Amino acid sequence: MPPGMEDQPELSRNGQRPDIERAKTYTEGGTAIEVDGLELVYSDGTAAIQGVDMTVPEGEFFGFLGPNGAGKTTAIKVFATLLSPTSGTVRVNGFDVRSESRKIRQTIGYMAQETSIDPELTAEENIKFACEAYGVPRGERAERVSELLDLVDLVDVADKGAEEFSGGMKKRLDAATALVHRPPLVFLDEPTTGLDPKARNRLWEYFRRINDLGTTIFLTTQYLEEADQLCDRLAVILDGQIVAEGSPADLKREVGGEVLDVELEGGPEVRAEAATIAREFDAFSDAKVVETEEGISVTAQTARQYGTDLMVAFRDAELTVTGFNIRTPTLDDVFLAITGEELETEQMETDQTGVSE
Amino acid sequence: MSTPGADEGAIKTEDSRSGNSFFGDAWVNFKRWNLKAVRNPFVLVVSLVQPIIFLVLFTEVFGNVAGGAVNQGIPGINYETYLVPAITIQVALAAAITSGIGLVNDIENGMFEKVLVTPMNRTAIFVGKTAAELFRIAIQIAIILVLGLFLGAEIVTGFVGAIGIIAVGILFSLWFVAFSNTLAILTRDQESTIIGANLLQFPLLFLSSAFLPLAALPGWIQTFARINPVTYGVDAARSLMVDQDVMTVIEVSWFGGTLDGVVPGVIVLIGLDLLFGGIAVYLLSRASSSDVK
Repeated sequence: MPPGMEDQPELSRNGQRPDIERAKTYTEGGTAIEVDGLELVYSDGTAAIQGVDMTVPEGEFFGFLGPNGAGKTTAIKVFATLLSPTSGTVRVNGFDVRSESRKIRQTIGYMAQETSIDPELTAEENIKFACEAYGVPRGERAERVSELLDLVDLVDVADKGAEEFSGGMKKRLDAATALVHRPPLVFLDEPTTGLDPKARNRLWEYFRRINDLGTTIFLTTQYLEEADQLCDRLAVILDGQIVAEGSPADLKREVGGEVLDVELEGGPEVRAEAATIAREFDAFSDAKVVETEEGISVTAQTARQYGTDLMVAFRDAELTVTGFNIRTPTLDDVFLAITGEELETEQMETDQTGVSE
Repeated sequence: MSTPGADEGAIKTEDSRSGNSFFGDAWVNFKRWNLKAVRNPFVLVVSLVQPIIFLVLFTEVFGNVAGGAVNQGIPGINYETYLVPAITIQVALAAAITSGIGLVNDIENGMFEKVLVTPMNRTAIFVGKTAAELFRIAIQIAIILVLGLFLGAEIVTGFVGAIGIIAVGILFSLWFVAFSNTLAILTRDQESTIIGANLLQFPLLFLSSAFLPLAALPGWIQTFARINPVTYGVDAARSLMVDQDVMTVIEVSWFGGTLDGVVPGVIVLIGLDLLFGGIAVYLLSRASSSDVK
């Protein structure tokens, strides 16, 4: 049993996102991915995946959330038949990854973490090559190519060499080449890492569109925000094990609301006093308060509404606030809540959306 | 607007593959690598312009001096005729290096993995790529032969001999194609592959019968030339060029004529191709297998 699971039984049982707005049709309720006891040990002894069980139903937008080195890419490579599992069984679209790998390759789209396009070919030639490689019938190729160029908004640059494209355009082209054979299941390995927010939002739009059309999507990400925006359900993976599973709302509920970071002037006794005030603060019924290096961090459902009132309370207690920031929970907060462990600093991704003073 | 969802049913029912055959898959890759070769100026410059510069400079600068040494071994030929077979082998050598560079680039820009997740036959993928490279080498050798004729060289065996020279060039290039791919997989680095393969190019060419008859060269070079594949390729091609047995390192008299100079060289080259090809195929299949590495 991975750490943390005992305390959050409701997470693993809660299947669908309750607040799902997009109407989707789950045909037949088949299973896209079925994983039983998957383990993968690299030849140098690194156990990248240690006993993963999971099921992704057809039509779902499923996410793997975890820091660098958690085993996300290894898992996706096993599902895409690029790596053979050390033990356990994996069935993708009903086929076994070991004995029916070519059938899996015919029925999946795969977008690697590193953008994978041929820079010496034009956008159109890249998609055309993918059409031929996946055996799209000759008569349908031209139409499919223009369809996909249109989907990823590259019609105007169809004849330009991919070398000159921006990072976002390359990613979109990469995504298009993964869809030429209209696969019922698409793997996206950290598809938006390194993109600016505009390019990222645009890609999200495409992924939603594809998913709305019935394609199952398996995505890995380091960003809770991305998982929140896109996924119906997600699993949090850490050190090769799934430590939590549920809808994004479930996971954020686990964090316990939004996070208010306060910087204070003075030493530990000031922080202790501030922490006591925050714990007893009436507007935060269920606040979690921790002392940090510069002040305190308060997590509460109502942090955004009543954050300023807490500042007033600090002033009344003659504490000097040198800075504060209200933000939505980050992956780091989720991990802290689920595992009780902080991520190492280089793994932290703070996508702060709060106000700073 | 025509998005893939225009007919929603099609998304769910997976399109069945049109059933590309082995040759279909090889053809897809053959086309891609030819397109890349045309797009990449580096490929053409390194593997064609450089040998052309050699051909012109050597014949112009050394032609008068070397002509005497050449005539001692093969009476009555000019240096152009002597040099053209060597330049065809140089083209084969230089063009073969770009095979490994192409593989490294594919690994670096993710296309290697991308191609591996397609349902294409793995062997066909590499057969297609290699075929594109050999096709390019054949064309480049043909260009050199035409240029050589223009400069005053003579192919005594005529058109059939020219085809034979191209065939020898392809046989010669195969072991170096395999070698550069081996370097590519082992180093997975473009610079190392280029340096590794290029460093070998000039010693291999100069320490052979390519530019001067072995008899005119120091003893240690004569010794090295015996184990240098370039000597076998050049002597075989040159025998076809002048229609005489000018193979200097193996003496046979199986046929009593030109073929005595061609066949032993071809046998040695086929042996080298099998040896280096075997290593490259082993490494390639290991690099593309899903076994945990």
